Amino acid sequence: MFALLQAADVEFSYGAVPVLRGVSMDVPAGGFVGILGPNGSGKTTLLKVLAGTLRPARGRVTVDGMNIRNIPRRDVARRMAVVPQETHLTFDYSVLEVVLMGRYPHLGTFQIEGPDDIAIAREALDATGTRNFEDRQFATLSGGEKQRVIIAAALAQVTRGAGTTGALLLLDEPTAALDLAYQIEIAALLRDLQQRTPIAIAVSTHDLNFAAAVCRTLVLLSEGRVLAAGPTAEVLTPVNIRQLYGVDADVHQHEAAGHLVVVPVARVRPGAYG
Amino acid sequence: MQPVRRRIAFVLAGFGAIAAIAVALAPLVGSTAIHLGRAFDRSIPFGDNVDAQILFVARLPRTLAGALVGAALATAGVVFQGLLRNPLATPFTLGVSSGAALGAMLAITFGWGLGIAGISGVAAASFAGAAGAVAIVYALARARHGGLSTNVLLLAGVTLNAFFSALILFVQFFADFTDVYRMLRWLVGDLDVASYQPLAASLPLLLVSFAFFAWLARPLNLLSLGPDSAEAHGIDVRTAQRVAFFSASLATGAAVSVAGPIGFVGIVIPHLVRLLVGADHRVVLPASALFGAAFLVGCDLLGRILMPPIEIPVGVITALIGGPFFLWLLMKRG
Amino acid sequence: MRIVAAVLMLLVYSFGAGAQQPQQRPPQRIISIIPALTEILFAIGAGPRVVAVGSFDDYPPEVKKLERVGALLDPNLERILALKPDLVTVYGSQTDLQRQLERAGVPMFLYRHARLADVSATILELGKRAGQPQEAEALTKSIERHLDRIRQRVAGRPRPRTLVVFGREALALRGVYASGGHGFLHDMLTAAGGDNIFADVQRESVQATSELILARRPDVVIELRVGDTTPEQRLKEIEVWNRLSSVPAVQAKRVFFLTDARTVVPGPRVAEGTELIARALHPDAFK
Repeated sequence: MFALLQAADVEFSYGAVPVLRGVSMDVPAGGFVGILGPNGSGKTTLLKVLAGTLRPARGRVTVDGMNIRNIPRRDVARRMAVVPQETHLTFDYSVLEVVLMGRYPHLGTFQIEGPDDIAIAREALDATGTRNFEDRQFATLSGGEKQRVIIAAALAQVTRGAGTTGALLLLDEPTAALDLAYQIEIAALLRDLQQRTPIAIAVSTHDLNFAAAVCRTLVLLSEGRVLAAGPTAEVLTPVNIRQLYGVDADVHQHEAAGHLVVVPVARVRPGAYG
Repeated sequence: MQPVRRRIAFVLAGFGAIAAIAVALAPLVGSTAIHLGRAFDRSIPFGDNVDAQILFVARLPRTLAGALVGAALATAGVVFQGLLRNPLATPFTLGVSSGAALGAMLAITFGWGLGIAGISGVAAASFAGAAGAVAIVYALARARHGGLSTNVLLLAGVTLNAFFSALILFVQFFADFTDVYRMLRWLVGDLDVASYQPLAASLPLLLVSFAFFAWLARPLNLLSLGPDSAEAHGIDVRTAQRVAFFSASLATGAAVSVAGPIGFVGIVIPHLVRLLVGADHRVVLPASALFGAAFLVGCDLLGRILMPPIEIPVGVITALIGGPFFLWLLMKRG
Repeated sequence: MRIVAAVLMLLVYSFGAGAQQPQQRPPQRIISIIPALTEILFAIGAGPRVVAVGSFDDYPPEVKKLERVGALLDPNLERILALKPDLVTVYGSQTDLQRQLERAGVPMFLYRHARLADVSATILELGKRAGQPQEAEALTKSIERHLDRIRQRVAGRPRPRTLVVFGREALALRGVYASGGHGFLHDMLTAAGGDNIFADVQRESVQATSELILARRPDVVIELRVGDTTPEQRLKEIEVWNRLSSVPAVQAKRVFFLTDARTVVPGPRVAEGTELIARALHPDAFK
């Protein structure tokens, strides 16, 4: 499989503080990549660099082999959508209006969305189980419902013609602000989406179990560098977890859940590696 | 909710009708009774036709000024609120009006006249003051790492307002007593332009602003999601912010030079319109323009007929209406 | 014993001087921050005893050499007290300044801007306080006589409907302020043989919107703007009125631009100011 989205030796600093010190990773077509790491490891920054929102000081990001900086913003937006951790709207838009905003990259300067766009938006709402919220004000929804609507908007954004072929969804800490129930819901939704549509997904998260539940490949980020990358089962090991989080953990396949599960056991003294 | 196309059509028709009625009716009403038949009687030379002069020299330019200024302030308010992502922003939040006020104060104190028929020196000076304030705020806001942080913009604007207000007090202190009174009077707005020249001068500026506003409608929707989200939706956030800042400042500067800093239009109308038609800027902008026009023409009308022959300044009327409206809004939310 | 008596007398004298006694001597160090009162003081012969004036005082020419201590909005209390005055003219509205001067024990003359008739009363009162009662009386008599002469000259002539403008924006017909039916401008106009178009407005000033001016159709417009203006500037200012071409004053070319300070100071030269206005209204009465 060729890499749909690829970062090569990306370096980024906020002012004088280096955050990414040469990160390389890729998101294959149809892949489900998790970017894992503790707070401050640079996960969100990496995601923004991948999305093209931030420009790396060194290295480059490519989409289908082409440098993202050479692709017009709108064209990038038609293939790649970002779901932020939380969405706060300044004004009271309805759910449908929010999802329709995902269609803007597909419209001409003064073009107004047509019936096709509305149909795509509605399908996206269906896909995330939020169709019945269509006319409600976005601000009145619960956290989980809002997140699902934003995912629907992202889906609508990357739907072209026949569907979401070659499309990318980037999610930043999708479960961080959610209750347990919603966490499971989002995980299920993402898995489900992946199976139904040919969409590539990359999530940044510090939630090991969530990553284990949904991601097929992982990139472990430690202090701006890639600690390990590869299939989940290979990468999510107690050794790596100890190195990444300073925590002794037990990792095993959970029968009922159907995926790897990580149980932290004890804190390791800082600096002690196994 | 109706699709956007239909809502825009509804707004144009509905609010358009209200604005048209206001503009058509206002020149016919006033503290003096005029005879319409005589006003339109072509056989009387214009120089002798009092009714015609009251209609076409006193009232019509005034009504048109009210419509233009009302539309400008209302839409500028919408754009500033979208730019700063703050529903409490007004066209005057970023210092445009205090710059204009300083220019006007100086012109009044030193008796600057422009000498171009119909365009007063005060108007020109206030526009220059507004432009100066905008330049300073922009320079301050972009000094920080090349971007255009809305927080810094807000801080810069508030700081500039405070500083210019201090300068204004300074100028007033050294001015003649009648000049001080006239300055205070300018601050509450005056639509009595009595000439079509100021309208002709400000119209191109306003049309340019309105054109940019039309382009900004979708970017402003996206900016509501946050600048990163907006960027991820494919718009150039920095360009959109700059266009929003300059075009809204242009509209505000032009409006304030014509009629002084009339308050409350730029915040009451956007809120009211959003309550009526939703938050999509493609609908809110035209609705605010038309409703703002009707509103200001109506307020000016009230000011002219409530206590004849004394005229209550239009800014006082907008404040008397806008203040309680705001209170009601606050209580509704809380 | 004599020493005790001397000390006692000294004590009595100093007590007496500190008490609130009516002054026997007329004030020797007068400060006047009000232009009209300054003019009066000089006109009644108290000029040599004036030690400081206000920022806007410029008549008679002698005041230009005197120190300035501020005016209505910015009186310089420190400076005023440092000059040790024994009479200070104060605006009725300057309550802060009054309080402070009272605390410092400085005698004051309170002034309220009023009507033409009050000018004489003010001159007499100030004359008494400044110790020039006879000169004050003579001055008021001469002003009254002058005003009577003016009234006689214009009596019986048709009184033109007049708009008296005392302020507006330069070179534009905006922010036009005119005299209402109250106040000394109105009174001067009446004495000069004109009828104020805003006589019905019970205020000193009216904002004359273009509609009002058109509706009230003044026969004459008198603009008062004190200051240096070149003839070209004056012409340009008058041309501004051409926009309201249906106004009789514009059609008959009876828009006058008066820059003489005598028209706006309710002081000793008020009759001269009134005559200037009368000459504009009734030129043929003064041939």
